[in-house]
Order: sequence, then C-alpha cells, then structure tokens
Amino acid sequence: MSATPILTVENLVKHFPTKRGLVRAVDDISFQVGKRDTLGLVGESGSGKTTTAQCIVGIYPPTSGVISFEGSLIGVKFNRREKRLKQQIRIVFQDPGSSLNPKRTIKQILSVPLKVHGIGQPRDRLGIMSRLLEMVGLPPSEYLYKHPQSIGGGEKQMVAIARALATNPGFVVLDEPTSALDVSVQGKIINLLMRLGDELDLTYLFITHDLSLMRNVASRVAIMYLGKLCEIARTDEFFRSPKHPYTRMLLSSIPVVTEEEELLKPKKIVSQGEIPSPVDIPPGCSFHLRCPEALPICSEIDPEMQSLGEERVVRCHLYGDSPCNR
Amino acid sequence: MPDLLLDIKNLHVGFRIFEGNLQVLNGVRLDVGEGERVGLVGETGCGKTTTVKSILRVLPMPPARITGGEILYRGRDILKMGKRQMQALRRHELTAIFQDPLQSLNPVFTIGTQLRDIVGDSAIGQGKRLSRRVVEAKCIEALRQTGMPDAERIMTNYPIQLSGGMRQRVCIAEALSTNARLLLADEPTTNLDVTIQDQILRRLDELVDERDASVLMITHSMGVVRDLTQRLNIMYAGSIVEAGRTKDLLDNPQHPYTQGLMASVPKLTGEGISEGIPGRIPNYIEPPRGCRFHPRCAHRMDVCESESPPLFDVLEGHRAACYLYGRNT
Repeated sequence: MSATPILTVENLVKHFPTKRGLVRAVDDISFQVGKRDTLGLVGESGSGKTTTAQCIVGIYPPTSGVISFEGSLIGVKFNRREKRLKQQIRIVFQDPGSSLNPKRTIKQILSVPLKVHGIGQPRDRLGIMSRLLEMVGLPPSEYLYKHPQSIGGGEKQMVAIARALATNPGFVVLDEPTSALDVSVQGKIINLLMRLGDELDLTYLFITHDLSLMRNVASRVAIMYLGKLCEIARTDEFFRSPKHPYTRMLLSSIPVVTEEEELLKPKKIVSQGEIPSPVDIPPGCSFHLRCPEALPICSEIDPEMQSLGEERVVRCHLYGDSPCNR
Repeated sequence: MPDLLLDIKNLHVGFRIFEGNLQVLNGVRLDVGEGERVGLVGETGCGKTTTVKSILRVLPMPPARITGGEILYRGRDILKMGKRQMQALRRHELTAIFQDPLQSLNPVFTIGTQLRDIVGDSAIGQGKRLSRRVVEAKCIEALRQTGMPDAERIMTNYPIQLSGGMRQRVCIAEALSTNARLLLADEPTTNLDVTIQDQILRRLDELVDERDASVLMITHSMGVVRDLTQRLNIMYAGSIVEAGRTKDLLDNPQHPYTQGLMASVPKLTGEGISEGIPGRIPNYIEPPRGCRFHPRCAHRMDVCESESPPLFDVLEGHRAACYLYGRNT
C-alpha cells in the first residue's frame, strides 16, 4: 500500500436471493484503496464489479462483511448512512444517457447535490455550478440551460462528473465511465479525470473491462472473476508478470494495435469456455473449468488469497504454500 | 489485385427527416476482392452501418434515399436489381452478422426452427430439396463448427436462454450455413467480453478460411481489424478518409483523423492517452463545406474549407483523403 488506506473492504459478500437460486454476485472479497490511489477493478460482465461498487456507494447493503471509509463503518443501509459519507463517496455511472434526467436542464441536474447537502447559500449556487462546469471544461454560459439530449455523449459524461464532484468528495467510484463513448472522446474524459484527481486529491475506484485502459490510468489493478478477486498488483508489475491463469487469458485476448504491444502480451493462451452463471458456481476454484493449468485439487478446494511479496496477492493453487505445493 | 467481388463507387445516401436532409454517406468508395478481408473502421455515427445496409438493400426507404453512386457485385449494380434478383443474391451470395444477436434472432422460435429454415430454404433456392434428417444434421454441424459445445440441446433452446456469446455463435452459424461468398460483419463482437470476443473471432477466421469467402468487417475497434483483415478503410463523417494495407495503415497513419484516433487508443505499453480529437462528428443536415474533418483538424488549410479532397496516393497502396498529400490539379 503506497499510502494509508482510505477505503477498506473486508470479506464483502453480496448475495441476491432469486427464484432460480442464490446469486452470489460478490463472494468474499477484500481489498484496500490507498489515499490518492486509482484502483482499477477489472472483470468480464457478470463478475460482480458493479455490485461491489454499489455496495461501497450504498445502493445495496452488503449481505455480510465490512466496508470502512476513513475509519468509519459504512456497510449499512443507504438510508442509515451518515450524510457526511454520502457527500464524501460519489459515483459516475456508465451510461450518461440514462443517468441524467432528460427532462431537466443541466443547471437543475447540478443543483440537486448542492441542495441536498446544503452546499453554499441559495444565491451563491449559480456561481458554484458555473465553477463546476468550468472545472470539467464546459463553458457555463453555453451549457447551464441545455438539456442532456442536446449535447454529445462525452459532454454528458462531463456533466455527470461535475455532478459527482459537486459535493467536494474524497472518493469517487467510476463505473465504466467511458465504455459507452468513442475512443477519441474517451481520451478527453480520461485526461480530465486524471487532472481533476491531481487537483482535488481524489481517490478513484475505476471499474472497467478494458485492460489497455487500466494500464494507462490505474496505480493498482484488481481482477475479479465470478464474485471473487483473482489477483491484485501494482499496475506496472501486473502487466510485467501476470500470475493468475485467468489474468493471463484476459491479457492474451486483448486485441492490440501495435507490434510493441503484441510483444507485451503473454504467450498466447487459448481462451476457452464462458463465465458460468453466478447461481451455479462450480465447486473448488470457480475458474477451474476454463483454466489451462488446472490441477486435480482445483476442482475440490477453493484456493485462498495469498501474498506474493509486497502489494501483490493471488488466489491460485499454482502459487505460494497451497496444499499442492507443500 | 484479385477480381473485385464488391465495388462501391461514389455512394451517396441521405435521410429525409423532419429537421431536414441528412447527407450521411458522401461519396463512399470501397472494394472487396475475391477471397479478401477488408476492414471498415469508424466512430459512432460515421455511416458504417448505413453502408452495410445499403449493400444489403435493407435501408428503410423512405426516409433513406440513395442519391448517387453504384454498388457493383461481380460487376452488376445491386442498386438496380429487381426484387427477385436481390432475394437470390441475399440467399446465395451475401450474408451478414450484426452487432446485437438478440435483435437478429427471432425471440419466439427456437434456434433449431430458425436454422432449419435457413438451411432448407437455401437448398431449395439451389434447386435441391433436402430431407428433414439431412437438414437437421447440417444445422447441428453448422452449430458445432462455431465451437458450440452442446449443439443438439441448443437446437431446442430459445434465444433468450443463451448467453450473449452463444447467441452470436448462432448468428455466425446461420450466416455461414449457406456457403455465401461475401460476409458482412457489422460489429460482431462489440457486445462481448474480450475472452469471448477472442474465441469467436478466432472461430470466424477459421470458418471463413475454410470456405474461402470474402469478408467486409465493420467495427470501431482498431485491434480487432488488425488481426483479421488485410486491407483497411477508415471512415469519417460519411466518406473514406484513408485506405491501405492494414498493418501499414495502423503502423503509419497518414490522415490527421486517423492519427488522432490512433493516439487516443489506450495502449498496453502505457505511455498515457492523448487528449483525443477536439470537437465532434458534424451535423449531417449542414455538414461542413469542403473536407468534413476540417473544423476539427490541426493542419487545416484554406483549400480544406472549400473543396473536398479526393484520395491521394501517399505510399504504395496507401491513400489518404487529405490535401497534405497532394493538390487538386
């Protein structure tokens, strides 16, 4: 950990009971996010990334486990969460088209968090909103009275970022903030987020399925598969020597655009199988059905998280003092 | 240059809507040779899908209007074909895979019903009538070839019961069950996870190879076309702005738009991401005069604002529609 942890998640579990059975969306995960860090949470669809984020923001109360933010426990229902925490922890959603109310002007959208959290006197709020828009690079005179549908996707996401920053938070969850956008717009949003992170001392939990993007923004990367974490490592180390077989499969599947990148990818691992349903998780290690290096033990015993040196944990029988390596 | 299978010449397509006339395709030139794989890359709203739909003649008209140009398939103009000829062409020669398999599959019929229809009908079109057993076997074979583990069971499933990757495999099976010569793949893996994308593209690659078919691959992902295509066309605001051999083009982009696009793609080497391209795609009701990219271009000159650039030869087999590389004579 490069800095003192601002957010600690310990043994977080979130299950959803459904008619077809229990959906184990998040199944016992633990991680920490240091102050000023950007933790990249990467996984395929259905791996539980968004549920994790929603537990942290408070949209769902966890089934069990502990989430603490700057020392105070926040794993309770959203309506019982302290207002100060709601102000400190904010979220930017994936699709700005559906997270902004189409019937409201940008001024109305931005005024909500200010009113709720009592920021500024009513007469000062127009100035605050203008400053927020300037901060994300949108000229306020042009945008304050527009509706979301009359601006582009990238600009909508900038408004969503301005709304998240309206309460002056310390921690922002970015739930796939650019995956609905084109690459030429993505660059602008990412650079904006990184600049704001520096200026406002923000800590990010950056959720995405794009590992190439993670390489460029995250300081640490956590890989999630079927509700569990597979590997956490510092970004440079992670890309230099990925450990978990799933991580290597992910990396070798990325389509790249240059020859240098091709050389950085691990030796081709043939991607096989699909992510199983979270209702019916295979016994043992949940990845063993797709794993090219599966051992007999993998179908029986679920591996524990183990530390491989500083800031690096892997959950796989191939490493450390797993029963099969003793 | 192999014989041309598909040759699009100066295609103009517009849409007449309440707000005015959208001039979307603005002189698209594109060709696909026999047995060749060609990529068409561009961002949202640049006219990629309109191009595919024009080739298949499935654009809703109105509001769409083809205002100029030709689409030659083996030398015959698709746009002038009668209904029957067009049906025959779609049945035997052209085939397509779209982005969202849930929209291309019928939700109320099983996969088996839908596949049997295609396999049976295409045989009838060729003047053969297959027995039910043969059709069934062909369907199962087609599903197996896409890497589907349990083809017999899948035949009895409804689309909603399958995962996204499985549905896309069904679409590929449908598309490739008819021995079509030209496959139009419109963002076939955009909705899928990378590991599934990798599996599906690899299978598609092998199947196309076996059939010696041609492919026009439409996508917004540079990485996907790099592995799968030999030639690449970059599209911006309704026209091709750069064309060349895929590797040459990606390693050494010439058009300012392509350069901006390549710089915005996050790389595994981790040198950071550029600020992207300023501005956004133009309004098609009143597109900019001259080069449609000029309002966003850092290299714009006076001529860019008045005349639209043709494709200039930059390097061997590599052309860019930009006045940086030539002047109108």
